[in-house]
Amino acid sequence: MIDNIRSVIILGSSGTVGSLTGGLIAQKDIKVYFLSRVLERAKSGLERAIAQARSEVISRNIVCGDYEHLLEKALEEADWIVECVSENLAIKQRMYEKIDQYKRSDAIVSSTTSSLPLTELPRGRSESFKRNFLSTHFYNPPGRMLACEIATQAATDPEVFDFMKDFLGHELRRVVIPVKNIAGFAGNRIAFLLFNQITALAEEHGVEMMDYLIGPYTGRLMPPLATLDLVGVDIHKAIIENLYENTNDEMHESFILPDYINKMIDNGSLGNKALTKGGFYKKLESGKRIFLDPATCDYVPAIEPHVASVEKAKQQIHMGMYREAFETIKTAHRKEVDIVMDILCTYIAYSYARIGEVTESELGIEEIDKVMSFGFNWAAPSLIVNMLGGKEYAIELMEERGFAVPDSLKSASESAHQIPNAGKYFVAR
Amino acid sequence: MKGEQVYILGGYQTDFARNWSRENKHIVAMMREAYQGSIEATEIEPGDIDAAFIGNFAGELYCMQGHLGAFFVDFDRRFVGLPTCRFEAACAASAVAALSAMAYIQAGIYDLVCLIGIEQMKTVDAVKGGEFLGTAAWYEKEAAGIEFSFPKLFGKLGDEYDKRYGLDDKYLARIAVINYDNAKNNPNAQTRNWFMNFEHASTVGKYNTIIGGRIKVTDCSQITDGAVCLYLASEEFAAKYAKRRQLKLDQIPRVLGWGHRTAPIEFAKKIADSAKDEYVLPVTRQAIVDTLSRAGLADCWDLDVIETHDCFTTSEYMAIDHFGLTKPGESWKAIEQGVIEMGGKLPINPSGGLIGCGHPVGGTGARQLLDAYKQVTETAGDYQIPGAKRVGTLNLGGTATTNVCFIVGR
Repeated sequence: MIDNIRSVIILGSSGTVGSLTGGLIAQKDIKVYFLSRVLERAKSGLERAIAQARSEVISRNIVCGDYEHLLEKALEEADWIVECVSENLAIKQRMYEKIDQYKRSDAIVSSTTSSLPLTELPRGRSESFKRNFLSTHFYNPPGRMLACEIATQAATDPEVFDFMKDFLGHELRRVVIPVKNIAGFAGNRIAFLLFNQITALAEEHGVEMMDYLIGPYTGRLMPPLATLDLVGVDIHKAIIENLYENTNDEMHESFILPDYINKMIDNGSLGNKALTKGGFYKKLESGKRIFLDPATCDYVPAIEPHVASVEKAKQQIHMGMYREAFETIKTAHRKEVDIVMDILCTYIAYSYARIGEVTESELGIEEIDKVMSFGFNWAAPSLIVNMLGGKEYAIELMEERGFAVPDSLKSASESAHQIPNAGKYFVAR
Repeated sequence: MKGEQVYILGGYQTDFARNWSRENKHIVAMMREAYQGSIEATEIEPGDIDAAFIGNFAGELYCMQGHLGAFFVDFDRRFVGLPTCRFEAACAASAVAALSAMAYIQAGIYDLVCLIGIEQMKTVDAVKGGEFLGTAAWYEKEAAGIEFSFPKLFGKLGDEYDKRYGLDDKYLARIAVINYDNAKNNPNAQTRNWFMNFEHASTVGKYNTIIGGRIKVTDCSQITDGAVCLYLASEEFAAKYAKRRQLKLDQIPRVLGWGHRTAPIEFAKKIADSAKDEYVLPVTRQAIVDTLSRAGLADCWDLDVIETHDCFTTSEYMAIDHFGLTKPGESWKAIEQGVIEMGGKLPINPSGGLIGCGHPVGGTGARQLLDAYKQVTETAGDYQIPGAKRVGTLNLGGTATTNVCFIVGR
């Protein structure tokens, strides 16, 4: 068992998560190998890490290289190997085979995946590999999103888990959320259920209207479909399909991907990474935005929705009157506002129902709150309960709307959110 | 201190890392959150508030909104008719608001004053913001047409030290690093998750450019959106408040001493005036001496903590000898010996100061007072100086033009 981390390898350092996580580690004066298939790609990761730190001096802690020339040497000294390669079981397993050959017996190996089965990943590996293997799921970009889910598999040494939990929390200043080894862990499981529901609702109401209704004023920094453009529509599909295949809960059917998403991917409409093709949004040369029409997968001009109660709520948030804004939404009698309330109720119900399944029961909603706030910049589920008027009122509202109220919500203690601390999650847009 | 005692009952600071423009919030939203947070933190009954004083530098410029005191009455139905007022003295805006609150309390006019310090600065880009800040100097003479006039003026403060006593910039870099390090322990500090080390602070590079003269990016305080709300009270009210919270009156911090001196606004004149003085900024020194004297303290070593106005590393360098930690011109010794670090003989800016915690211009004086309150009530969390009994503050408006000090203790 190692007692300190002095040398780290980032495998897949050309990607955003790999390079920026590696950059955070290098900021702590720890030597970090940025490895990639080709040296140039590793160097592009270094540039990203420097931009994140806003300092070139961290580069003295970073050694760039390719797998062929540097992996074996780096493995001889590495205390922690962070694997961020493609989300493909076979690719990861081939990488692990190589690691197992050259790594030190006490080196910790962690994967940044939250999708692939943690029990399958180290299959066939040595006992020392399995004992030191776990998942450290960083959120993106790690400089701004502090959440890090940490999960073990059956063979993980509990001391390795404790050591990494401490290191991630104290050295890398992460908000560490221990989660159970279930596909999507806590954050992606909950967020992507909502994302997928919203993509489905967009078929009926349109992309622009859904992002308007479930916009930042409902407790998130970005509208949901704009977030999916940032994530990548292909990544969204991969996560949803993985969740459908590997989880089974009361909302299972909500993990069925709407057909038009496949058509988007076929068209190359993958989101921000395919700027000319667009995603849910497309930006014209004039700077104007047009929106995907799910029925045709063509783009249509903006309709600029205007719902009086939504506008009023935004204005109240603009002036810092958050509870008043929720009161406005709660008491509005409009079909559109019903959609908002249904999404908020789904968020609460689904989050509370996951307590005990994805996180330890005794911590209640706390860990799920943390991952939604620090991983997604969303108002935590218990904060939404609070904003709706407290537990009793939220339960009543959910029952009225036909939602099954999870026992964990019924038995939860009333959360005492301070509005001043919570205000940052409600954006007046 | 002469006259009626003035107590501090605690309050609330907003998270200085927030960007309220990105949240599309009006400056009043920030004021409201600070107020609501202060009520939750102190459990003060809003109906007991006699007046609200707001410190703010340039709401008209940054937000096209003046008359901030008026908005306070919207926060509670009972506030309609409450006397409120906005105070301005550049970066010392909320410190002069506090002085005025004290005067009203000492005169027996009010028992409980709500004090808010606030600035929303991220409404404009850095160049435009720099131009607005130039109005805290003599704009026509010192700032008009000059990009980032303030860093250049405070760079000259370093130059003057260099001329008179010698100044190695490695000490300025060290001041930056200490403030960033301290900020990591402060959950409301703007830079709590930012990278900083001595090598970065010492090196000019793509991300650490020279802003003016010897001032680099890392020598500067931050452009910050932030508000602080706290309460000043008469002894009579503080005694009732203490009883309600099952505390003894001597457990409630009070203002032990204060100082307020104004120097000529033009920086060059300040320097010319001090040519024969051992202190580079004698008016600032006098404000500190007045404060120690009013508190009945012999010197700075009777303090346990200092929260000073490090708008630039040079201003903290100046504060070190002006507070008397070293002889004039020898501030570097206190830095080299670790005196000003957490765990040092007299820590400066455990909060991270203006460089680490952030500098919402009109909010800084109030933030310093609240941090002083936190230190002496042992509620500063991870940036607590164990056993702190007396905290000195120094808040500068302009180029050390308005100088306001307090000593808060029990």
